[in-house]
Amino acid sequence: MKWLLLIAVIPLAAQPVSFERTVQPILNAKCIACHPATNGAAEVSLASFGDLKNLIIPGKPEDSPLWHVLRGPKPRMPKGGSPLTVEQQRAIETWIVEGAKDDSKDSRWWSLRPLQAGPHRSIDAYLRAALQKQSLTFSATASRRVRIRRLTFDLHGLPPTPEEISSFERDPRPDAYTHLVDRLLASPRYGERWARHWLDIVHYGDSHGYDKDKPRTNAWPYRDAVIRAFNQDLPYKDFVERQLAGDVLHPSDPHAIELTGFLAAGPWDFVGHQELKEGTMEKNQTRSLDRDDMVATAVSTFSSMTAHCARCHDHKFDPIPQEDYYRLQAVFAGIDRADRPYDEDPAIAIQRRDLLQDRLALQRRIQPLLDKVEFASTPEIVVLDDRIQDASLLLAHLGTPKTPGQQADKQRLEARRTADRAARQQLVDALIGATTYNQIEALKLEIKQLDDRLAALPKPKLVYAGTSFFNRIGNFRPALAARPVHVLDRGSVTAPRQQVSPGALRAVNGVDASFAAVEEGARRAAFARWVVNPGNVLTWRSIVNRVWHYHFGAGLVDSPSDFGRMGSQPSHPELLDWLALWFRDEAKGSFKQLHRLIVMSQAYQQDSKYNDHAARIDADNRLLWRMNRTKLDAESIRDAALAASGKLDLSMGGPGVRMFWFKDDHSPIYDYARFEPSSAGAYRRSIYRFIVRSVPDPFLERLDCPDPSVLTPKRSTTLTAIQALAMWNNPFMLHTASQLAARVGGNIQLAAQLVFGRELSATELQLYRQYADSHGMANLCRLLLNANEFLFVD
Amino acid sequence: MLRRELLGGLALTHLLGAATHHPAKAKRVIQVFLSGAASQCDTFDYKPLLIRKAGEKWDPGEKVELFQSNPGVVMPSPWGWKRYGQCGKWVSDLFPKVGACADDITFIHSMMSKSNVHGPATFMQNTGFILPGFPSAGAWVSYGLGSLNENLPVFVVMPDPRGMPPNGPANWGGGFLPAAHQATMVKVGTQTPIADLDPPQGTYVTPRSESDGLALLQRINRDHQSARPGDTRLEARIASYEMAARLQLSAPEVLSIEGESAATRKLYGLDDPRTSDLARRCLVARRMAERGIRFVQIWSGADNGFPRRNWDSHENLKADHGMLANELDGPLAALLIDLKARGMFEDTIVCWTTEFGRMPCSQGSLGRDHNPAGFTTWFAGGGFQGGVSYGATDEWSYKAVEKPVYCYDLHATLLHLLGIDHKRLTYRNNGIDRRLTDVHGEVIREILA
Repeated sequence: MKWLLLIAVIPLAAQPVSFERTVQPILNAKCIACHPATNGAAEVSLASFGDLKNLIIPGKPEDSPLWHVLRGPKPRMPKGGSPLTVEQQRAIETWIVEGAKDDSKDSRWWSLRPLQAGPHRSIDAYLRAALQKQSLTFSATASRRVRIRRLTFDLHGLPPTPEEISSFERDPRPDAYTHLVDRLLASPRYGERWARHWLDIVHYGDSHGYDKDKPRTNAWPYRDAVIRAFNQDLPYKDFVERQLAGDVLHPSDPHAIELTGFLAAGPWDFVGHQELKEGTMEKNQTRSLDRDDMVATAVSTFSSMTAHCARCHDHKFDPIPQEDYYRLQAVFAGIDRADRPYDEDPAIAIQRRDLLQDRLALQRRIQPLLDKVEFASTPEIVVLDDRIQDASLLLAHLGTPKTPGQQADKQRLEARRTADRAARQQLVDALIGATTYNQIEALKLEIKQLDDRLAALPKPKLVYAGTSFFNRIGNFRPALAARPVHVLDRGSVTAPRQQVSPGALRAVNGVDASFAAVEEGARRAAFARWVVNPGNVLTWRSIVNRVWHYHFGAGLVDSPSDFGRMGSQPSHPELLDWLALWFRDEAKGSFKQLHRLIVMSQAYQQDSKYNDHAARIDADNRLLWRMNRTKLDAESIRDAALAASGKLDLSMGGPGVRMFWFKDDHSPIYDYARFEPSSAGAYRRSIYRFIVRSVPDPFLERLDCPDPSVLTPKRSTTLTAIQALAMWNNPFMLHTASQLAARVGGNIQLAAQLVFGRELSATELQLYRQYADSHGMANLCRLLLNANEFLFVD
Repeated sequence: MLRRELLGGLALTHLLGAATHHPAKAKRVIQVFLSGAASQCDTFDYKPLLIRKAGEKWDPGEKVELFQSNPGVVMPSPWGWKRYGQCGKWVSDLFPKVGACADDITFIHSMMSKSNVHGPATFMQNTGFILPGFPSAGAWVSYGLGSLNENLPVFVVMPDPRGMPPNGPANWGGGFLPAAHQATMVKVGTQTPIADLDPPQGTYVTPRSESDGLALLQRINRDHQSARPGDTRLEARIASYEMAARLQLSAPEVLSIEGESAATRKLYGLDDPRTSDLARRCLVARRMAERGIRFVQIWSGADNGFPRRNWDSHENLKADHGMLANELDGPLAALLIDLKARGMFEDTIVCWTTEFGRMPCSQGSLGRDHNPAGFTTWFAGGGFQGGVSYGATDEWSYKAVEKPVYCYDLHATLLHLLGIDHKRLTYRNNGIDRRLTDVHGEVIREILA
């Protein structure tokens, strides 16, 4: 899509072919996968202008090797891929004829160059300038009815009520729209809507994922803190810092600690962490992959770069050496994902933090001694270990005895195991010796004293976060200091190379990316400072593009979490940079101001009507000659249906609503089919549902709700038979339709206003009435909720 | 269409006779997944040394790191071994009926996994990655080849009725591929085999309200669309309701085995309570394959837990493998025989997959621990040779030593037979052109017919 579009935008023959805007994108799309930057190695690289020098004779395409391999219908290159299109070939030929000049201002990739606004001072001015080049204009401003539906879904994820529509339509004030924007941004529904976007980006879920997908019962305080941050318009800098290091930078602010749930938002391998033995390769791998998820999440969320592609080797396309990736792992090397205690009362919070730090210091002393005991081993001990395990296995397999014989077996095995355990203890005791035991006991006493003082504090709250403050469960134990991180050859834990210190991406100029920090918390704080540094161009470009993406349905850069060479390039680079600067400097990182700026633009308020002429020039509407028509996302469909039915429960926050039948087994069971659509909490907004990773909600999943284990900067939209069946037959939809019918009585006009946001014509009304007369209002409401007019927003 | 081309996927339509990278040998796949890790040294990987050294201290000559335990003594299989077919393949008494089909099977004995933990390893065999969030092989096939029958889903999964395997439905998810490519779960033999296929019982929906309603819905959607030209999504959504209606008619027909002959019922073991569940699922799989469903996955074994309901026989191999094999042996062999009888064997791939193997030594006195270093998988039909064994473990059945194979090679080979070059079936996600085979995978040409 990317390069076709670029071709559409190239004013052919009007000006010279640009290397930066035309030739390089073609090479990036077609060649660079096999010809990446080689760092001086012998193979052919097509990664930069410099690499092309030997392949091109300026002015003479016939004599240029590059041209020879690319030309014609059956060229030698790209090997195994489709040839360049005629237009692409012509562009490269013309560029060589014109002298093969490098017109890039800066040889660095666009996203790494300094922020450089253009001459304009408004969104519309930038967009209009680009439209004018193609002799296009904005479409007419949309009607008030269209705009209020669009804006309410966009800012709230809900439909406007009939009263809201009519009062906006009748509002005589010239700035009625401004008032509407202000009203919507002031509502707590706004935070719920935009937090949902954020949770997609960071792959938030309420269970661990993998095998034995246990509920993560304290994840929700993070979700609530994100909602609160949006509603209170927490500046972006603060929002970022708190998610990476809120516990370090604001130890007495409970919401700052809740936001560190970001670090733990992704999946977690219960078996790998809790059951595998300390010191094994598989354990190291589990931990390395756990940090990998933290790195991928943090860097793609805040920097829109794919650092995780440098786990096994230097990044193939972007300037990210493998060592940078492992420096990023080192940032997170002291934390795990666990329930972390925190307090509302700042004074208590500080007391608790100090006690926990003292406790950590004691743990550092006692752990090596405990390990001596835990890993004590002689051949005799191993024999007993095996016998004990054998008994345990057989007992587990036996289960609850059903016959006297089994009962006897059980007793015999239990007796044997008890005796073996005692014998083992004696052997271990002899091996360890009294001195060590005395030291352990003394330290245990000290820890107990601290634990008593901790227990005397008011009961803490818990948030599932990135932390080292948790107690060992099974084989899952906190790092007592940041764990050493090595560069791993080919990403393999069996092939460690040099150890690295924490750091970030060195490709970002002018911001120090090597951290002196040693202590766990200081590492994350240093990384947070690197991200929010005003000079970190990635941060500011990334966030304004994300916000733009959600408003318009497509970003200025259409790959919101990838600003590297494999991602898209900005359709309006100067606008993107102007927005980034404006957001950083004028708006001081206020999301609400940014929303206001965007939704007040003429571009946003235009009609979404199709226009043949414009579509021929810019079919994908990258230039925004009209507003994009959007399809409601899964949560909005569910919430809007509930809103129309009058049942939507707007209570906020708290533990996720379990919209399934649950049994906490060895591997927990989540069964959505056994959930009554009228159960307690069933009418809450979708953001408050309990999100299970291994067993996604089948209804929402069919509506393209993303897998909560995948970082999702951009949702895909599908239209399938299975989806149609879900909308048509799912018990939730049928139930909600009957609730809607009960709400409106026989008033078909009201039902249409609630679902479509408009009155029906006389013809429509007659059709609907006929159907309702034959089959009842519930069936009619079911139909309305399945209509395209409900699912699409003009 | 456009999107696929640009993203590097196959430029195919979802129509019958779609183009492939090269001519396809096979049209469809039926995969049986033995969840929990089925033992290689108790099924198809015959090692007389285990019998000779039974009960002796096991010493493979290196430190062995096990999932749960210390290595125990050498443990021979509790089952005897016999040779089968022209090829003379040794198969244990656990799978006599499958053994009788040995001449039609390609055994791969040198399988390795990158994880010895069920969750990641199960992901690996399904998606090629040990992390969650990646599309399963069936989803890739759906994305690459599309449908052979517009009225049925492309990728179908029939879980074990006792429950979900480790990772749950994430094993057959679409990952970052569009949701359309994830599997449709079919719970054969239950009241509601396919979720939302029909409205629940006892609602206000009647057959008349249904047909009149769909007609009216399509009418108002068309009115809505005609006022909004140039938006193909509106048309696509109208079409999706028409497809849904066809699916409602076709799906029950696929699942209905009432018309199958008495001989077929007997062949699969439908009327034997021990085998009836897998018989039904294998038979339905054949019916699905006949009707053009591309990829069918059948699970033997559910989650971990007691009493054991999967192949994870840590405690008592004889009891637990015995029970599960009794359920599977007959129906699976019947599927191979039936496909041959119907002339479908040549273009249908049947595969036996498990996430890793088990140790040749004992865990406790009666069980076996995990073994990711060597295990067996097999293929039949669809362009594979028969009566062949490829690769080998060492004399203990501990480590793959000859021609080691990872799931990447299996997936590459599978896609190859379906007409797809695994290196060219890609989807751009978060900065990487992702493949089912990551950056690995070699087609195992030696085992192709």
